[in-house]
Amino acid sequence: MNTLGFTHLPVSLGSFSAGLWRLWLWKKPSFLFPRAGAFGPQVAGKTVSHGLLPLNETDLEEQFVKGHGPGGQATNKTNNCVVLKHIPSGIVVKCHQTRSVDQNRKLAREILQGKVDLFYRGEDSHIHKVKKEAEKKKRERKKKAKETLEKKRLLKELMLKESRPEAPLPREE
Amino acid sequence: MWLWRVKPWGLAPRGLKWKGGLLSPPVLLPLRPVSGCRAPSVTATALVNYWAQLFEERGVPEARESSEYIVAHVLGAKTFQSLLASQRSTSITDLQREQIGELCTQRLQRMPVQYIIGEWDFQGLTLKMAPPVFIPRPETEELVNLVLHEEFQRCQERRGRGTLDHQPHCSPVILDVCCGSGAIALSLLSRLTQSRVVAVDKGEEAVQLTRENAQRLHLENRIQIVHHDITSGVNREQLLPWGPVDFVVSNPPYIFHCDMEQLAPEILSYEDTESLDGGKDGMRVIREILSQAPMLLKDSGSIFLEVDPRHPELVGNWLQSRPDLALSISATHVDFCGKPRFLHIHKSRSCQ
Repeated sequence: MNTLGFTHLPVSLGSFSAGLWRLWLWKKPSFLFPRAGAFGPQVAGKTVSHGLLPLNETDLEEQFVKGHGPGGQATNKTNNCVVLKHIPSGIVVKCHQTRSVDQNRKLAREILQGKVDLFYRGEDSHIHKVKKEAEKKKRERKKKAKETLEKKRLLKELMLKESRPEAPLPREE
Repeated sequence: MWLWRVKPWGLAPRGLKWKGGLLSPPVLLPLRPVSGCRAPSVTATALVNYWAQLFEERGVPEARESSEYIVAHVLGAKTFQSLLASQRSTSITDLQREQIGELCTQRLQRMPVQYIIGEWDFQGLTLKMAPPVFIPRPETEELVNLVLHEEFQRCQERRGRGTLDHQPHCSPVILDVCCGSGAIALSLLSRLTQSRVVAVDKGEEAVQLTRENAQRLHLENRIQIVHHDITSGVNREQLLPWGPVDFVVSNPPYIFHCDMEQLAPEILSYEDTESLDGGKDGMRVIREILSQAPMLLKDSGSIFLEVDPRHPELVGNWLQSRPDLALSISATHVDFCGKPRFLHIHKSRSCQ
């Protein structure tokens, strides 16, 4: 009997206030932990990608929608929402992007990994780096555009000057 | 064509505030060219709210989810959550509204969402769904993961044995018993690119649907689909076109017969009960598969079954009573709800 209900978490994908979630009492039955390596051979019990901090499966807690009934063939539920919590930081992610529980679990891990990385590494985090990179490129593009405009303006002035007859020099008295 | 009569925004009976959407059930009027009789435009969100409310009033389970999936499907998306906020607030066309109405009316008849939209996702694949073929359950995705994990381990062990191994490539042959829509067979084929699968089902519609799904996914060259009832006896010729198999995988009918009547109308009225009813103790087809497995499986092979949570013990006891099969349970795995759901069975090492 699944005694854990799905609690409506007041979490949006943008929120990861650790202090708040540490107050949350959360049961931790070990049988809910996915098997190590269930997500592929390349990592046993860890999610690793893009130089982000790896997530340990043992630090994660998953929940699915309550009221799944007997489950298996006896049930046909379409709600495949996955709620994933990173226990050390208290960050929670909710994923219902796809119609597959398996895919939602994988996506939830990817999203959570990014958030945890941001949480712990702050300015050094991957998300931050990507953002900084994008801002830098934008500044460079703007600068270049400005320079190009300036060059064009000068060229235009030069062309205008050449096409006009020279003004007579003031006579020296 | 139906014309939905819509109450203006913000009006509610008895001064009650509500978030917006159609208040009363749709009044179905035949569309006639009455001047000024065009229904005001409505957004996706509003329609979802409307139908969710109606489903709830009529006792349709998963009211909101059903409404979201149907509306998303008509808008070309898989889930409502994957739609952009801008898409959710754009006006729905009359045709879309009509399509949504027709599909939602089917939901009012308790038709499963998967049959209504004609498709469902499993392990990253989108498969066609059609009644009465059994709809893949989310738990079964883990069954596929177990097979994949086992295969990857075996493959690494084989590679680890080095150059003495004449077959460094891992190209497992898999037998999927009671394949249904082909979910297990096709997801394994797509993840194990060198694998071949024999998929067998006793239902004609299941065989056809598996064939169609295989073609849609361009996997038909690595699958053989066999129309055969395994309870009628072993058919080695048909089941072993590539010789003994590395894996026997199955999600066989495993519901206890006495539990059948408690199933939801979605299941009882639309899905093939033969794909669910496992007899008195839910073990009828399981016993058949295990009885035949030794003849079908390589010595190093594995059997993976999805079962009822009561079965691990029952299967364990039964296998002990059948030493002639020389099979034993190497592991029981839980599903995402923590229930014992999957059995990993292998050939016992022969006694010296």
